[in-house]
Amino acid sequence: MDIKKVLNKATKEIEQSSNQLDLQNVKVAYLGKKGKITELLKSLKNLSLDEKKSTGAELNQLRGEVDNLIKIKFNQIKVEEINSKLRNESLDFSFPPPNSISPKVHPISKTFDEVITIFGSMGYSVAEGPDIETDYFNFSALNIPENHPAREMQDTFYIDDKDKDGKPFVLRTHTSPVQIRTLLNEKPPIKIIAPGRTYRCDSDSTHSPMFHQVEGLFINENANMGDLKGTLIEFCKQFFNVQDLKVRFRPSYFPFTEPSAEMDIAYEIVNNNIKLGQGDLWLEILGCGMVNPIVLENCNVDTKNFQGFAFGMGLDRITMLKYGLTDIRSFFSGNLNWIANNGFSIGDF
Amino acid sequence: MKFSYSWLCEHLETDKNATEIGDALTNIGLELESLSDYSSYSKFVVATIKDFKKHPNADRLNICKVDDGADTYQVICGANNVKKGLKGIFAKEGMYIPGTKIHLKKGKIRGETSEGMLLSERELNLSDDHEGIIELSENFKNGTSAVEALKLDDPIFEIGITPNRGDCLSIRGVARDLSAKGMGKLKPLRYEKIKKLEFESPISWSIKNDENSCEYVVSRYFKDVNNTKSPEWLQKKLISLGLRPINALVDITNFITVDLGRPLHVFDADKVGKKLDMRLANSNEKILALDNKDYTLDGNSTVIADSNNALAIAGIIGGDHSGCTENTKNVFLEVAIFNPNSVAKTGRSLGINSDARYRFERGLDKNMVLEGLEYASYLINKICGGSVSKNTDAGKLDTNEHKIKYDFNYFNKVIGLDLEPQIQVKILKDLKFQINERGDNECDVLVPSWRNDVKNNIDIVEEIIRIYGYDNINISVPSSSKDEINNIENSLVNKKFKTITKLKKTLLSNGVSEVITFSFHSNRAQEILTGDTSLKISNAISDDQSFMRNSMIFNHLESAELNFKKGIKNIQLFEIGPIYNSSQSQENILSLLISSQDDTNSIYKSVNFNFYSLTELASKLISSLNFDIKQFNISRSTSNIYHPGQSAEVHMGKKLIARYGKVHPLIMEEFPKLKNTYAIELFFENLPIESISRVNSINILDSQFQFSEKDFSFIFEKEQNLYEVQRYVTGIDKNLIKNVEFFDLYESNDLGDNSKSVTFRVTIQSKEKTLEEKDLEQLHKNILEKVSNKFKAKIRT
Repeated sequence: MDIKKVLNKATKEIEQSSNQLDLQNVKVAYLGKKGKITELLKSLKNLSLDEKKSTGAELNQLRGEVDNLIKIKFNQIKVEEINSKLRNESLDFSFPPPNSISPKVHPISKTFDEVITIFGSMGYSVAEGPDIETDYFNFSALNIPENHPAREMQDTFYIDDKDKDGKPFVLRTHTSPVQIRTLLNEKPPIKIIAPGRTYRCDSDSTHSPMFHQVEGLFINENANMGDLKGTLIEFCKQFFNVQDLKVRFRPSYFPFTEPSAEMDIAYEIVNNNIKLGQGDLWLEILGCGMVNPIVLENCNVDTKNFQGFAFGMGLDRITMLKYGLTDIRSFFSGNLNWIANNGFSIGDF
Repeated sequence: MKFSYSWLCEHLETDKNATEIGDALTNIGLELESLSDYSSYSKFVVATIKDFKKHPNADRLNICKVDDGADTYQVICGANNVKKGLKGIFAKEGMYIPGTKIHLKKGKIRGETSEGMLLSERELNLSDDHEGIIELSENFKNGTSAVEALKLDDPIFEIGITPNRGDCLSIRGVARDLSAKGMGKLKPLRYEKIKKLEFESPISWSIKNDENSCEYVVSRYFKDVNNTKSPEWLQKKLISLGLRPINALVDITNFITVDLGRPLHVFDADKVGKKLDMRLANSNEKILALDNKDYTLDGNSTVIADSNNALAIAGIIGGDHSGCTENTKNVFLEVAIFNPNSVAKTGRSLGINSDARYRFERGLDKNMVLEGLEYASYLINKICGGSVSKNTDAGKLDTNEHKIKYDFNYFNKVIGLDLEPQIQVKILKDLKFQINERGDNECDVLVPSWRNDVKNNIDIVEEIIRIYGYDNINISVPSSSKDEINNIENSLVNKKFKTITKLKKTLLSNGVSEVITFSFHSNRAQEILTGDTSLKISNAISDDQSFMRNSMIFNHLESAELNFKKGIKNIQLFEIGPIYNSSQSQENILSLLISSQDDTNSIYKSVNFNFYSLTELASKLISSLNFDIKQFNISRSTSNIYHPGQSAEVHMGKKLIARYGKVHPLIMEEFPKLKNTYAIELFFENLPIESISRVNSINILDSQFQFSEKDFSFIFEKEQNLYEVQRYVTGIDKNLIKNVEFFDLYESNDLGDNSKSVTFRVTIQSKEKTLEEKDLEQLHKNILEKVSNKFKAKIRT
């Protein structure tokens, strides 16, 4: 028996197997119960002890080699079969995805969030009041009597329904009535901001009949105008993310604050864009002042012991300035493309 | 308010230039809105076209030889008015041209060198005129600056006056305030009193109204005047403010209104009766005013009238019939103090915005009544001649000055600055406040007659800091206290904003974008949704924005339609904002709209969005706030926003938490392009957000032992609420039943009209052991029996 011949034959047959079944047959033919190599091993019993020893070793080696060749081939066949299956499952990677609109929040939401966070870090909690206000809360309690020219500073929307004084309800023209509501309901010290919707009957590219304001009110024993300046400068530095911020406070008039001021931020035009913080040009950011004692008295606050400041700013306006947006009308158009381009995704919100 | 630098200087002796004055105006609260300053134009000079010839390579261009007095230049010019000898304004190469915003470069135009430019008015930003280059009179010498030649040496200020500062609605008032800021010295008014008041006025006054709408009136009669055109100085002044000169008498009153802030009126004395009254108008009394419009008055307006007619609306506008013309021979001049309130009311109800009304309603300087009378008399007499009567008046002029006890320390407390009393006193004196009885800490302050707005201590503080300068206030940043941080943590509104942020994040992660729409909706929306009609906006801008919305659904459908027209097929949007149930009831809700268009040709395997997907989304939103929708009562919605058969409402007790469904087909008829549209409204303010703690309600697979699942199918009555079934099954064995999940619903004719077949899967798991087969079988049997008994359900096999 030529062991080498058997190995050659087996090797050839293994090599020629093209699938798992062929290979299994080869395996049975050589290593099965009645396989050639098994038979050869069985025939060892007829040999002498010496021959048994030498031939047995050779035969065992043969069995090991064939077994190994079969295993290798088996793996080869398996890989080929999987590859062939994967080829059939192939999809077109180059098929372009649809253009989907990425969901975003409105820039105003981002501003609300930042304003609440920044003032929150300074100790201001959030307060709120209704959009539909009484004449008293929106005007009279704020020291804006009827027929006062200051009423014409603001174009007011009126509602058909009348309040208990017989005056038509108004859409609040500013968030300032929240000052009154808070002063009437809480005892000083008071430190609140009140963001919300406000209304004036005006409509063009810089005015919208609805817009957003945030009101701030800080009343305690000694809050003064220096505190007012410091608070607002700090807010603007954080909100606009400009550490070196040139600002200007100039005298103004609001019936509910005295002294009153308007705060401007310096800016310059760089490559046709507004750059905030430095420069010779000024942008009006907000109105503020020390709360007029008349207002505190209207709310039964003891003006001998308490004083403080208030401020109000347009949230749409500071949003437009921060992000370089130009037309306020697009804010409220419900245009999803605009939101996708100007809004904030979940990671940035 | 507008005024020129030179006019200001008639009242203010100053060495400050226009820019310095402008800065000071803003710093004292008279905000500079614009300042036209042409001083940089002195580099442009007068030059003559000495000769010109056609450009060889361009028909429309000429090659000019231009002489600016110092040199001659070759200039290529395209203007159609080029001619020999023309004097124009010349800019040399390198100069900046304000109208075109470019620097002139030396260069060749079609091969010919050009060394400068002859300018049009538009290139100088003087007007829009670009018809040709500027043509000057021949009198100007070459080399004269454009500022001189074009008379641009008088800058024009435009300032904003806040409603409290009626005293600055005159050039004199502005000058007075500037002088207090150290910008110069107020000059005395230059006029002479009429030496001889020769006769008694033939016209007399009486004040006849019960309300105090007219406190005092004084007049003079001018005989034999010659009402010509105004002298040039007066005409030029009015033109500089954009006013049109009319005739001397009218121009004088307009001039004094602006110069002194003192409105007055001239009647043609021959067109009015001999006895004039200040009286309330009769209701429906009519008057043709100087603006050529007819006004119908009510009983609240004050008029000036003779025995026949109303002659003027007091403090607002004169009547056309009694006005002065160039034929006027005799004049009756009226100066009065009217009540600001009544002028404001009448002016507003008639819609008349006159210079007089503007000043009366802001309050006038009572000491200016007689001064105004004298000044006007002087000008009338000087310009129109004639003779002047003695005064005739009615009423009483109350010129008592207002006195305030002022505490110097109050300033320091409010402003946060230690400002010495003597500095405070100096500023007050500069503002012409009188200081009496000064003590260490306080003094008596007498308020000048023109400052009606200064009434108490805080007003004095404002005056001092206004002049001292807001820039000089020390900056301090109050830090936050522990109490304040506690307040924030306990604040319900802060919690609400956190809730809103959570909802927004959940929505973003579900692919929904945020919009913000107006708080209004249309007439049509109101009709369909039948909201509260008392929420109509009385002065709405348009029909589309005429009601306060009681739902956002229409706004969102409009938005969806707009986006659909822009090519977005699958619209998913939300808004968190207010809706209004009545003028005293507003709630913030989340409203969400999904409108998807089937696209059967698409390669994407898409499941159509349906009512059940909507339920899943509603449930996700509620769980994002740590509530479980299954804890609430859920029933069919009765809202007319939704399809009655494809909608639901979620209640907690009596409070509405959410409603959702397919938008009602009747509403969708208004938006025919949109298909398959669903909405969710979440009334999150009705959730007890103050008591939310983080609870996870789904508790399957929290045990290490094996779990088992078993499906059950029952035939229920069609109207059976499956949430009840779910709750019931979960309660059969709270220890072992971990989850009850519904996954199939089948309705068909063979079940009968009133039945539905439902399959749910129960997950069973013990915390203590792996359950044995017999335990499971017992529980399965239990579920089958109890459910079929409780709900009269048939077991389906």
